[in-house]
Formats: sequence, C-alpha cells, structure tokens
Amino acid sequence: MIKQRDQVSTPPSATNARLFQRGFSAVFVSTFVTIFLAEIGDKTQLATLLITAESRSPIVVFLGAALALVATSLIGVLLGQWLAKRLSPQRLEVIVAGLLIIIAVLLLGDVVEGS
Amino acid sequence: MDWQLLGLTFITVFVAEIGDKSQLAAIALGGNSKFPTAVFLGCIAALLTASFLGVLLGGGVAQILPTRLLKAIAAIGFTFLALKLLMLEEAEED
Repeated sequence: MIKQRDQVSTPPSATNARLFQRGFSAVFVSTFVTIFLAEIGDKTQLATLLITAESRSPIVVFLGAALALVATSLIGVLLGQWLAKRLSPQRLEVIVAGLLIIIAVLLLGDVVEGS
Repeated sequence: MDWQLLGLTFITVFVAEIGDKSQLAAIALGGNSKFPTAVFLGCIAALLTASFLGVLLGGGVAQILPTRLLKAIAAIGFTFLALKLLMLEEAEED
C-alpha cells in the first residue's frame, strides 16, 4: 500500500482521516485481504466442514454459514460505529489500534500453535 | 430445503464467529472508518470466500493452503493497520 503524498494542504485531522481512508475501494480491499488471510483455516471453517461432512449438503451448510457471517459482520461494524460515536477521536484511535494489535497477537498465537 | 440443517449451521457458525478475530476486526475497522459499508462488504466478501473454500475443499484446506503462513501475513497486515493509525495519531499531536 504505497502512501500517496497529498498535494492539497488540508488541516491535520482531515489529512489524518483521509490518510487512513483512501477511498471506499482501499478500505474494502484492506479489510478483505486481512480478514480473508486470517479466516482461512480458522475454527469457523472447521465447524462448517464437520457439518458438511456429516450432512453431505454443502449448499445448505454454506447458506447457513453465510447468513451467520453476514450477521456477525454487521454486528461488528455497527458496534464499531456505535463506539466511534461514544469515544473521542484520539481515544477511539488508541482503542482501535489496540484491538488490531490484539488480533495480530491472536493470529500469531494460531501460527505458533499451528492450528 | 433442510431447514434444520440451515438453522444448525447458522447457530454453530454464529457462536463460533462471535468474539472471533474477524469480528474484532469488523469492530476495529468499522469503528475507525468513514466507509463502514466498505468494511462491512469487505468482511462479508472475505468470510464468504473463506467459507466457500472451506466447503469446497472439504478437509483439504490445510493441506492445500499454507494457512499458518497466511495467518502470519494477516498478523503483519493488522499490525501495519494499527501502526499506521498510531503514527497518524502522533502526527496529529505535534
């Protein structure tokens, strides 16, 4: 992700916001890549696989899993937005950065455990 | 349509996902983005693709894909996002 320098001089908070969200697609792509890499081979996959193996109807299983994943993603994003309204920008950033670090540590835990 | 199986899968995956890394990511990324829809769509696209591969490849996911390597890369990705945020946060103070 190369960081493009902004020609137009904008107030610090706007630059800060724009730097983090370089457009809808950048956010979509970074979200997709990070979560996809984290989710592949994760325990959710195992749960889905076991049910698929037992039921031998992957379409129904995939539909059930898909609905659940949409629901949890929606809850997650809405919770994040709710937090954003509650907290000051600085504190929100520290908490979000902390959450992201926690996720990275959990992932490294998975790597070390080899799960 | 086997509604019982659908419900069983929904509950199993829902419970497995609540509090899982991907949901924490949805909260973190969703909370700090001016494009929550992009985060939401990114989450669903990633989770559905991963889940589809899981159903498609059956038990072979781990053998075919180097899942541990991918998780290490994801860890770096999340750390990068966090550091970028923290770096910006300092930039804002001075």
